[in-house]
Amino acid sequence: MTKTAIKKNAGKASSKNAFDVMSYLRHDLFPHFLCPGCGHGIALRALMWAIHELEIDKDRIAIVSGIGCSGRLGAYIDANTFHTTHGRPLAFAAGLKLARPDLEVIVITGDGDCLAIGGNHLIHACRRNLDITCMMLNNEVYGMTGGQVSPTTSEDRYTTTTPLGNTEAAFDACRLAEAAGAGFVGREVTVQTPTLKNLLKDAIAYNGFSFIEVISDCTEIYGRKNDLGNSPEMILSQKSQMRPNSYGGVIVDEPFRPNALPTGVLSTNARPEYGETYRNAMASAKRKK
Amino acid sequence: MDTKTKYKEPVNVLVVGVGGQGVIMVSKVLATICQERGYQVKQSEVHGMAKRGGGVFSHVRYGEQVFSPTIPKGSTDVLLALEWAEALRWVNHLKPGEGTFISDTQHIVPPFACRNRKRGAEAGYSRETPDQILSRIKDGFALDATGMARELGNERAANTILLGILSTALEFPEDTWRDVISRFVPPKTVDINLQAFDQGREWARTVHENSDLAARHRRSEKLAPAVPGPDRDEMSDFVQLDINPDWCKSCDICVKMCPERCLKLDDRLKAVLTEPDRCTGCRICEWLCPDFAITVHRTPEAAQAAVRV
Repeated sequence: MTKTAIKKNAGKASSKNAFDVMSYLRHDLFPHFLCPGCGHGIALRALMWAIHELEIDKDRIAIVSGIGCSGRLGAYIDANTFHTTHGRPLAFAAGLKLARPDLEVIVITGDGDCLAIGGNHLIHACRRNLDITCMMLNNEVYGMTGGQVSPTTSEDRYTTTTPLGNTEAAFDACRLAEAAGAGFVGREVTVQTPTLKNLLKDAIAYNGFSFIEVISDCTEIYGRKNDLGNSPEMILSQKSQMRPNSYGGVIVDEPFRPNALPTGVLSTNARPEYGETYRNAMASAKRKK
Repeated sequence: MDTKTKYKEPVNVLVVGVGGQGVIMVSKVLATICQERGYQVKQSEVHGMAKRGGGVFSHVRYGEQVFSPTIPKGSTDVLLALEWAEALRWVNHLKPGEGTFISDTQHIVPPFACRNRKRGAEAGYSRETPDQILSRIKDGFALDATGMARELGNERAANTILLGILSTALEFPEDTWRDVISRFVPPKTVDINLQAFDQGREWARTVHENSDLAARHRRSEKLAPAVPGPDRDEMSDFVQLDINPDWCKSCDICVKMCPERCLKLDDRLKAVLTEPDRCTGCRICEWLCPDFAITVHRTPEAAQAAVRV
């Protein structure tokens, strides 16, 4: 299916075959390794749902994931999946997309993977605007390695490396991606699963680099240390803290990364897609020879 | 009737409806007209806390001299209702055997009438038909004003159609009505509101000529169902919930997020469906289960299986 065909389908759900997430999972690896109540599982379902509604063939999907709790999600998806080195999924994905433009390349990454270890790759991926979808699962902590502070940990939060409370300001990943030139930037919380699915659908259908920040919850390590309640309370508080698009411009004097986060499609930037530009340049260079 | 000496007792008009329909606008128009005709007017209302969707009422009393701002129960001369259930709520405030009853037959179902949230379930909304009500009232009008206004091009002009009918019951000069209405509605909608007013008057005139009861609620048979929902037979009642205990990690999300509170953790801390009858198949537990342990089936086969269980 071509890109335009995908876009045509982006708007409507396929009512013929209902979504069954089980057909997208590798059942022999289940139950998965995530802690009880981890929002990553909900985000994984939303991603599978979006892919299902876009009617993309499983053989045409390439999921690239990095290291961390989020990185393990790729293993559970019954499609072409790569588990790459720490922080480098975007670099791998860029190479993959340039070599195989027919594939739908989706990157699953975490806040530490994407913003700290792979921060450089993120800004350059945004700058190039290659047609990749990057789903960043933000749980504000390095969960897999034992709960160290991450670039998105909110101020005053306790982690194993900030026993007196975090004093560093946190990244607003979406504003970073927007400033670096990403084509499509959005954010959603996991508890709004259908909305998250629709956002991911738009992001995958977008021709250019799309960056989606999914606010996930780390109950076992981050929530427990900060007294944020169990997973139901955590995902509900994410919902009460978010600010949908309609709030735009209402809240002023925001801190660097406010706790009350705007959600939805935050920005789009219509720029030429890098893969196409690159191939055209190569073709014209060959003709000159 | 439009002479000051005639009213020893004030005339009582009760305007009721649902927040957002224009109850206050209707009563202000009426109060202004009375004032301009030289009567003493007292108007009091309950609004605000109802926001949109809650009940709103407004008392308008006018006459040579008015003391109390509220209408005593059972002495309303004209009850003007913008919504059917509100009309029934206030109908016993009418003067027995004398009062005029004017109501829109539109149904606005309040949230608490939808307690049973199963798909296709019946709402706890009044079942009285306009026939039943009008047969008990001396002078009653029930019409689908909202539908008429929609045909005119603006649903919100329904209250002006009802004002048109009210104008035939009170017999103030038509010009005063038209003048005051043009002043109270938004400038862009003056034309459509005046059209609506004429249509209301016209409808009332035909009804006055034709004393047949059936004509008094013309269009009411065209009523939309109280709750537009899917057909009952469309896999509505039967939902099957598959919970895979091997994958469930006892995170409690489904239990806490279920709007019907029909799940719980059993003694092994695995999620179980405790009250299958209350499950509406909304899929929230399925969407929010991070462990992919819950699957909601809403197929006819699932319906069969659920019946056997």
